Amino acid sequence: MTQEPDREIVAGEYVLGLLDGAEKEAFEKQAASDAKLDAAVARWQARLAPIDVTAPLIEPSTGLWQRIESGLGQAPARSQATAPQSALGARLSQWWDSLWLWRGTALAGIAAALLLAVGLVAALDRARRQPVMVAVLLTETNLAAAVVNTFADGRVELLPLQDIAVPQGRALEIWTLWDRATGPRSVGLIDRARAVPLRLDNLPLGADQLFEITVEPAAGSPTGRPTGPIVAKGLTARRL
Amino acid sequence: MAVNAAQSQGAGIEQALAACAGGDKNALRRIYDQECPRMIGVAQRMLKRRALAEEAVQDSFILIWRHAGRFDPQRGSGLTWIYAILRNRSLSILRDEKRLETDESPIGQEAASEEDDPETVMAKLSDAKALRGCLETLPAPRRGMVLLAFVQGLSHGEIAGKLGMPLGTVKSWIRRSLLALKECLG
Repeated sequence: MTQEPDREIVAGEYVLGLLDGAEKEAFEKQAASDAKLDAAVARWQARLAPIDVTAPLIEPSTGLWQRIESGLGQAPARSQATAPQSALGARLSQWWDSLWLWRGTALAGIAAALLLAVGLVAALDRARRQPVMVAVLLTETNLAAAVVNTFADGRVELLPLQDIAVPQGRALEIWTLWDRATGPRSVGLIDRARAVPLRLDNLPLGADQLFEITVEPAAGSPTGRPTGPIVAKGLTARRL
Repeated sequence: MAVNAAQSQGAGIEQALAACAGGDKNALRRIYDQECPRMIGVAQRMLKRRALAEEAVQDSFILIWRHAGRFDPQRGSGLTWIYAILRNRSLSILRDEKRLETDESPIGQEAASEEDDPETVMAKLSDAKALRGCLETLPAPRRGMVLLAFVQGLSHGEIAGKLGMPLGTVKSWIRRSLLALKECLG
């Protein structure tokens, strides 16, 4: 007997964590606008909740509450306060470490996209506005997805080089990381791939500074740090 | 006993969430004091590493704080809402980490503690809960799959690999188990 799986059963699979990537995204979108489906999710959450009660009790390490508290008042995109390095920051650092290795293999792509970026600037007759530094943001498969241009007068802009798929209700958030101890800072939020000035304000800006784009909720990352998948990333390099 | 304690404190969670929505940090601290150790336990069963489990809990408390105003007591209990946020965050870390991991071995390859074993979890489930009785009506391998997914956050593929079974069989057995649980629990 083959039939479309009962929606209640799909809701159960969702609560068990068994829907992956695209399935999960589509299901969440559907449940957000379908009260019956959302109620099915709530029923499964309540049915399975006793299993969480069997988890061992593990005392938090000292400082966990302080780390939480320091994250509470942080305005996601604009905070200038220095937050202590979080566990997420540590994971990002690890990923940053891998960037050096990864960067070597991507030099050709960077060179090509650099030419493209410079060509773009010329084509738009903005010779006056030639960037001082450029970062080419590459996808996981080493495709140039966007460039970040920085100018002598302090302006910084992001120019997409290809369309980026943004799920409904999500946005693209742009981050920079200049110091692992400080962690990444949000410098822009866009609903789709489009040219946008980045707000670096008083943040430091130098060569070999990381820029990355992640997929976040429409209002930006709720934690003030990247939470969604990384779309593209790259380091600034000084123009010759 | 732990269950009774959790039940009697449940009502306080809803009040604390309402206070969080009004900007009362002490209310968040009350939730932390009451639930943090168990939350780390839940996250650690999925993420294996203590540091990642604490990261999931840290992110969850920030999300609880930011979204407390969206908590709807009509939809379910405050505790269930909090644990849904934690499970969501833990699963994201579990799946992202696998993608980004470079030098360290992926989380999934780290041995699960015997405590997270499905039959050990079964033994710890409260007799008082209908869920236990309903899970007991399922053949052990089938309830094992449900528990591996919920407790350890394993995917269909990981469960198939662990049990040495075809992916399609795992998917259909879990569906049938969910159907049986739904009918048993109502």
